[in-house]
Amino acid sequence: MKPLSVRIGGFGGQGIILTAIILGTAAVKKGNLYAVQTQSYGSEARGGECQAELIISDKPINSPTTEYKDIFVALFQSALDKYLITLKKKGTLIVDPKLVTKIPSIEANIYQVPATETAIKLGNRIAANMVVLGFLQKFIKMISKEDLREVITSMVPKKFIDINLKAFDAGVHFAEDLEITMEDIG
Amino acid sequence: MNKNIKHEGRRIKSGIHFILGNYAVVEGALAAGCNYFAGYPITPANEISELMSKRLPEVGGIFVQGEDELFSIYSVISASLAGAKSMTATASAGFNYMQEGIGYASAVEVPCVIIDVQRCRGENFATQADVMQMRWGASGDYESIVLAPSSAQELFDFTILAFNLAEEFRNPVIVMSETTIALMRERVEIPEKESIEIYKRMYTSLTPEEYLPFKAKNNSPPEFAPMGKGYHTLYTLNYRNEDGTMDWDAQGYKKLYQRITGKISENKDKICITESYFLNDADAVIIAYGSEVRPALDAIEMARNDGLKIGMLKLITVWPIHENLIKEIAKNIRRIFVVEMNIGKYAKEIERLCLPFCPVTNITKNMGIIHTKEEIYAAIKEAW
Amino acid sequence: MVQQRTNPLRKYIRNRKLPHFFCPGCGCGQILNYFLKAVDDLQLDFKKIITIGGVGCTARIPIYLNTDSLHGVHGRTLAWATGIKLYRPDLKVVIFAGDGDLVSIGGNHFLHASRRNLDVTVILVNNFNFAMTGGQVAPTTPFNSVTMTTPYGSKENTIDVCKLAVSAGATYVSRWSTAKPIQTVKSIKKALQHKGFSLVEILSQCPTNFGRYALRTGDPEKVLEWIKNRSISKTKAEKLNEHELKDKFILGEFIDKKRPVFQGTTLFKEEDN
Repeated sequence: MKPLSVRIGGFGGQGIILTAIILGTAAVKKGNLYAVQTQSYGSEARGGECQAELIISDKPINSPTTEYKDIFVALFQSALDKYLITLKKKGTLIVDPKLVTKIPSIEANIYQVPATETAIKLGNRIAANMVVLGFLQKFIKMISKEDLREVITSMVPKKFIDINLKAFDAGVHFAEDLEITMEDIG
Repeated sequence: MNKNIKHEGRRIKSGIHFILGNYAVVEGALAAGCNYFAGYPITPANEISELMSKRLPEVGGIFVQGEDELFSIYSVISASLAGAKSMTATASAGFNYMQEGIGYASAVEVPCVIIDVQRCRGENFATQADVMQMRWGASGDYESIVLAPSSAQELFDFTILAFNLAEEFRNPVIVMSETTIALMRERVEIPEKESIEIYKRMYTSLTPEEYLPFKAKNNSPPEFAPMGKGYHTLYTLNYRNEDGTMDWDAQGYKKLYQRITGKISENKDKICITESYFLNDADAVIIAYGSEVRPALDAIEMARNDGLKIGMLKLITVWPIHENLIKEIAKNIRRIFVVEMNIGKYAKEIERLCLPFCPVTNITKNMGIIHTKEEIYAAIKEAW
Repeated sequence: MVQQRTNPLRKYIRNRKLPHFFCPGCGCGQILNYFLKAVDDLQLDFKKIITIGGVGCTARIPIYLNTDSLHGVHGRTLAWATGIKLYRPDLKVVIFAGDGDLVSIGGNHFLHASRRNLDVTVILVNNFNFAMTGGQVAPTTPFNSVTMTTPYGSKENTIDVCKLAVSAGATYVSRWSTAKPIQTVKSIKKALQHKGFSLVEILSQCPTNFGRYALRTGDPEKVLEWIKNRSISKTKAEKLNEHELKDKFILGEFIDKKRPVFQGTTLFKEEDN
């Protein structure tokens, strides 16, 4: 299997790093794979720029970062503007149309996932990252939906488990009818 | 120390984890038997203190956040003399302060473990700029044992190794961590308790009347006496003779420091650990340590795909330096590359060993971020 | 026939260590005696006492004692004491520190050990200068004194170490002088029996350096006289105003109270007595 690299970018407080950790945990603990997750963020405690990177592979991973990502999830306009250049040609771009409105014309498979809107409808906008995660799992064949649901349950605070799982399922639903091949990912 | 430890079972979290490098250090320390930790807040080492403050008390250990790094290092040293397996963790700026204590611990032969998560001056970006300070930071004559992990798994493994080496050689051991691996989450496999080897400190079997606290065989550490049992050991930084009294003696001083440095420099072959990749048919060899090993290995794969026969010597023990092995390698190849994340410090040490035999090329990056494989490969091709 | 008698405190001294290195007339020898007298009176288990000295004349007291000892690093005595006391609460830790060691280079550790109420005893020998290095100004050197580094007189105010300790949270604090052996021994005994951070400051004569440079006399008796003339009991001091107390050393006990002692973060606490 080819290693898969993902970048999620947005601002602090959106649960970006948590999303990457959940994916990585599912890959390592459930899928018995290798994963490396790194991040960078501003010095603000809340609201600064934030991005997380994840590489998943069935073999030990050497370089902890890759120059170009297979998948880029942009959850804020400034994150898109800054990191779009690191998306592989013909890679996968996932955006939340509420927070990312200007997408330059590029060679990529672009998906608009109404994550924030869905999360608000479910009762808490903070769960938008789980909608994204639910959508994203479609592109990561080596991790199952069930594994991710289990990891979410073990990692989020008890009183938020329900809404997070609902948001995740909503994301899964958005991706249900997509036909994804490895070429689509890049 | 509390004899009544009810939760010793929580010490080793056997299984597969996806955790921060800094957390892997804590789990490694606990698996090694650490029971005293003192630290002072500094990024990017804070996660070590934070998890220690939670985990150590669970297993009957003691955690202290001190007033500064000097407190941390000295209380770690004295706890060790009192019988603890002790550790502190800091980052570059804090590591400066600790040099004083490292000098004392080296001179008095105190086992303890120091984690330095290297960072750029005042900023939490990646670097390996403290590599010479690890070796030469304190005043006076001493030898350092420094281990350079390149992953979260190695942070776990080498923290255990650090405790074992510290206890065996009665010397401080430094784990040279880096921002890159400390703040990275990765797969870490924690083995079952039975398969983790632990070195037990040597205590004397002599009576207080017979015991001489600093009498030891050549190039070996002395045996400990337990504290508070009438052995009245004087642990002084000053010169002391074998019975521990503090009377200057020029010959004795020479002999003492021959032994203290010799126990490490003359046991290099036992202490030094390296890993080799593709050395058999290599025309050139990369020497790297810490996180830089990782993109360097990828670069070697790229080079080999293009037909360039290049190998790698990964240094797990950065200090003492494995002189004989490096010289031997240099004799049989065309060029050595040293890949590191600073202005090219360790490369000078490699030059010292290899220049009579083959040229040495620095591949350095000093921009707060690890090399990419492409950068390393480009530098190799340029010099090839 | 002349009967050979050994000093009953000799058993506490390391073999082959005497004679000591203190200057003739120095107060450190007296203080060594006061400490051993206190230990002997209390019949403490000497094996369980750990003595600590940093760097300086006073810091050398432990090297003569038949105890496990740490010595030789300037200012870090209380950091050392913490590691031992937290890991081995069964041991009694006693620190011998000069004024430079304790409140100049070691000042920060001193504040925090007081604040935490670390269960150790500090015997501070205040001889008003850095003596071992040749008589330089210290935080305790009286205003306007001439020392080796204040040839025109010191223009710095002094630290009242006892006041500092009390306000930082120490739970037994007293000040005496080498001229008050009975009170000093009594106070050391109290400190050794006290559960919590105890400080006994002992004003002491340094004829070689402080005497010669600041007081223009190398005569130990005259230096001691200078200390005596400036000393005043706490009870008397309470009746005097700030002006009258200028340049006076107040002797007595400043605090003696109970407060939980520091144990670090641990889930298995010793029973508080």
